[in-house]
Amino acid sequence: MAETVTIVINDQEYQVPAGANLVDAARSIGDHIPVFCYHPKMDPVGMCRMCLVEMGSIQRDRSTGEVMLDGDGAPQVRWFPTLQTACTANVYDGLVIRTDTPQVDQARENVLEFLLTSHPLDCPICDKGGECPLQNLTMEHGPGQTRMVFMDKLKLDKHVPLGDLIFLDEERCIQCARCVRFQDEIVGDDVLAFHERGRSLQIITNSDPGFDSYFSGNTTDICPVGALTTADFRFGARPWELTDVPGIDPWDAAGSNISLGTRLDRDAGGRAIIKRVMPRQNEYVNEIWISDKARFGHHFTRSEDRLAWPMTGEARATWAEGLQDAADRLRAAGEDVAIIAGSGLSNEDIYALRQLADGLGSARLGAWPPTHAGADLVAQVGVGQGTNLGELGRGDAVLVIAADLEEEVPLWRLRIKQAADRGILLLVANSRRTRLDDFASQQLRYPTGGAAQFLANLSEENADIYGRLRDADNLIIVAGAEGLDLAGSRALMQVAANILIETGHVGRPNNGLLAPLPGPNAMGLHYLGFTPENTLDIMASPPQTLLVARADLLADDPAAPDWLGRVDNLVELTLFQDTLGGRAQVSLPIQSFAERDGSFTSGERRVQRFWRAQGPVGEALPAWQAVMKIGEALGQARAKSSAAAVMLEMSQRIEAFAGCRYRELAWTERQDPPIGEDLWYGGTALHNRGGLGVQVPTEADSGEVQAAAPELPELPQATNGRLLVLPVTRLYNRERAFRPSDIVAPRVPAPYATLNPADARRLNVAAGDTVEIEIDEGPAVQVQARLDDGMPAGSLALPRHLTTTAMPLKPTAAAVSRIPLPSEGRVAEHDA
Amino acid sequence: MLSSLEGVLGQPRVRPPFPAQKGGGLYREATVVNNVETLANVPWIIDNGAEAFRAIGTEQSAGTKVFCVSGHVPRPGNYELPLGTPFRELLVDHAGCDPDNIKGILPSGGSGPLVPGTDEVLDTPLSYEAMQGLGTILGSASIIVMDNSVDMTWVASKVTKFFKHESCGKCTPCREGTYWLDKVLDRILAGEGQPEDVQLIDNVAKNMAGTTLCALGDFAANPIIHTISNFPDDFNAHVQPKPAEEEPAARPARAGRRRRASA
Repeated sequence: MAETVTIVINDQEYQVPAGANLVDAARSIGDHIPVFCYHPKMDPVGMCRMCLVEMGSIQRDRSTGEVMLDGDGAPQVRWFPTLQTACTANVYDGLVIRTDTPQVDQARENVLEFLLTSHPLDCPICDKGGECPLQNLTMEHGPGQTRMVFMDKLKLDKHVPLGDLIFLDEERCIQCARCVRFQDEIVGDDVLAFHERGRSLQIITNSDPGFDSYFSGNTTDICPVGALTTADFRFGARPWELTDVPGIDPWDAAGSNISLGTRLDRDAGGRAIIKRVMPRQNEYVNEIWISDKARFGHHFTRSEDRLAWPMTGEARATWAEGLQDAADRLRAAGEDVAIIAGSGLSNEDIYALRQLADGLGSARLGAWPPTHAGADLVAQVGVGQGTNLGELGRGDAVLVIAADLEEEVPLWRLRIKQAADRGILLLVANSRRTRLDDFASQQLRYPTGGAAQFLANLSEENADIYGRLRDADNLIIVAGAEGLDLAGSRALMQVAANILIETGHVGRPNNGLLAPLPGPNAMGLHYLGFTPENTLDIMASPPQTLLVARADLLADDPAAPDWLGRVDNLVELTLFQDTLGGRAQVSLPIQSFAERDGSFTSGERRVQRFWRAQGPVGEALPAWQAVMKIGEALGQARAKSSAAAVMLEMSQRIEAFAGCRYRELAWTERQDPPIGEDLWYGGTALHNRGGLGVQVPTEADSGEVQAAAPELPELPQATNGRLLVLPVTRLYNRERAFRPSDIVAPRVPAPYATLNPADARRLNVAAGDTVEIEIDEGPAVQVQARLDDGMPAGSLALPRHLTTTAMPLKPTAAAVSRIPLPSEGRVAEHDA
Repeated sequence: MLSSLEGVLGQPRVRPPFPAQKGGGLYREATVVNNVETLANVPWIIDNGAEAFRAIGTEQSAGTKVFCVSGHVPRPGNYELPLGTPFRELLVDHAGCDPDNIKGILPSGGSGPLVPGTDEVLDTPLSYEAMQGLGTILGSASIIVMDNSVDMTWVASKVTKFFKHESCGKCTPCREGTYWLDKVLDRILAGEGQPEDVQLIDNVAKNMAGTTLCALGDFAANPIIHTISNFPDDFNAHVQPKPAEEEPAARPARAGRRRRASA
């Protein structure tokens, strides 16, 4: 138990944690001091004045330290002459406050009266109405009538787009600065600010494009009024019509807990659809924040191009026909069958695929995309059970290598940035400049593709840095795969694992290996035996029959048309129509995460459950069910009737999932800081009623682990004046599943490549020029050139999925040339 | 001021840490913040000693002060006098005012409480403690004199406009209070006020006082509270119900309004 102090609230003594914020301390014992500007996740500013209380200190004799008593033998209290803000006070021994006096009641009423003088009172049409702290606190503490009687009301702009995603209603804003402080303190993208002063004080954005941050949506949650609304939800529904269904962010390895706000909607023919996505508190995972991709990227679940029914060739088929056809093609191939499974599948889906393969006698189980190796090492020496990035602080260290977390796993970037603010040693190693560099204690550079070599030589060539990592109280290494082929990725993961093992930073909380593995469930693929190495093998020697489950092969791999051409039978389970360019003989429609129950295993190995939020599209089935029905048609076990039943069987048969029955995944505990009605959000979507999930133990958690010798690969080379193309990840891109989210489309950059200015000079390329990149044994693309001296000379960063042309899976040399302008005699053909 | 020097929005900071403590001053370093007037005394004290300095002025208010006299004054200007000099000496003897034609005095510019130009006030020594005894402050001693021609409602409005303009907007009571007071005072001055408006602005000002992070909230409340308490007739004259025949035909928005009892 942490040190406590004794404070007196309304003549009653309480023990509270020493140094706690007074608002939090009072709340913990049930005294809800009302606040608007105060937020437990941010520094107090004391601007709204809603938390005024009577405050004093018990007097002690200076010489003896004895408590001084008054005539009645009670401790003598020295009161402040005026009311004080509780939010700016930290508790100490002898602090005395009163929150129940007429003076305090009057002050609360007065502050609300002041706030309401210029508030529009348009609650009946306000998106926040029904979950609005201003509404709630006015009901509780406010005046019943207005004394601000004028014919004209304050008129300000009610539709100010701060960016493409967030709108400001200037009339509703109460100038609490939560949004400004969130962007500044928590995110580190200080793109919002106050403008003007006095009653003219307004929120503005100072970035171009406006409100340029991947976390902007969170400001709408913590806004205590309806001033900030999202382009997605504004005027879309009333909060009390919504049913909040627990979900999991389907985009990345963070596994952020989300609430899918659904309602029966006219737009869906009266069926339930997602109206908005909000965070769900899980202090271990995402606290109360989510990325804008999680919030605004849900539209694919109802997009027009979802596959609605089974197809055999180009003809619509019944499920019976589709299943029989698939089963026939699998049976015909005997054991010459392989499965490629995407990381967007749930644990249950992958388990069903594994059962199917076992029944067929095939062990060719490939994970897609095959870009990041070493999930097995995450299972071995991943972060210990009970890890919480929010606990890292002074004395701890985090090394991020070969990753661009801002673009790959934004929530990790957010939490590591905050850990840096708390004083961790943050080392960011990459061949190029990334966003996390802005928050790093030190940036480290190595040649493109040389991450494994760099880390392997760290103890010799950077003994000082190695020593600081070794001596850190807690150490987490986040190892990505940027600039690496699969062998290079494995080598880096092994080297990172070795350092953690050698320095004793394994097998305990807040220590170990993290990897920004692609998709929400790459660890689930690992635990069920699907590996990227197998995928490379499948690509090299394709089977007679290939089952592809939720993997966009053509968009990810430029060589896919080639090797798919050597597959005789192609069966796919897919969300979207025509993902394999007409090559599949059988296409079976599956449900998205929003239409079904299931679970993902996050990059921190946390198995987390999501619930069915909306009805299925057409005849789509959960992937596990479709797969099990194929198995039935092949004479395998009968299909399970529910995802829960699948997980129950998994928990008995697959060691990693022991303890992951749905009942166990639904476990919750009191979280700190607690959700107060109006502490940060006036509604209920943030309450976690879906469970905090279960973290799978690592091998190091339960026993000894051994380091293993890495196989360091050759560095990729580009000769003859060519550049080395470095495929990188962009959070906002034109992936099939993200394209339907139109509101984010303006934020998806036009296809571009980033060069070092020296290379650009040599190639006679200026920023903004169109360049053609002819990739060795790959596609040629035309993109816009961007210049950045944070790029290493000789390399060119080319983001994946900005065009429909697949980028190479690994660093590849390419000839780069400038396309002359039309006025220079040749017409440039722009790539879409 | 520290925030402005740093180039960020000029808003007061939460204290502690105070400017003189690490973390509270300029660029988060400990910073001594003083008026030029304070520092100007330092060389004299070093040259002549603390005893000599204490010999000037009163027991609790040592030394001299530069009194900046303006308003309805024949000889406005800056007068350096020992602290404790009576008001009368400054205003009548030096500045040349007619003691019978002083309606009110703002001893500390717009921010301090107003005092009436009575004999009792004129005989008060200009020291920090004596001014406090009058219920006002000496502050920066920028003394504004107003003669009998002045309408105190106009003064209240003028000063309120100043504070509304100066309010940084950080604290709710000051940001919204100055805006509200200004609107009501405009209404009163335009002859459209209601009798209850005087009580309303008095109450609004009192609700602002003592609730804000910096002293501007108090400063903005002072001119209202003290002009009303000293010169209620000036205000009431503006809001006397007009004879029935002058009443506009229909004013539905006001007709049904109810007012809350003063707190």
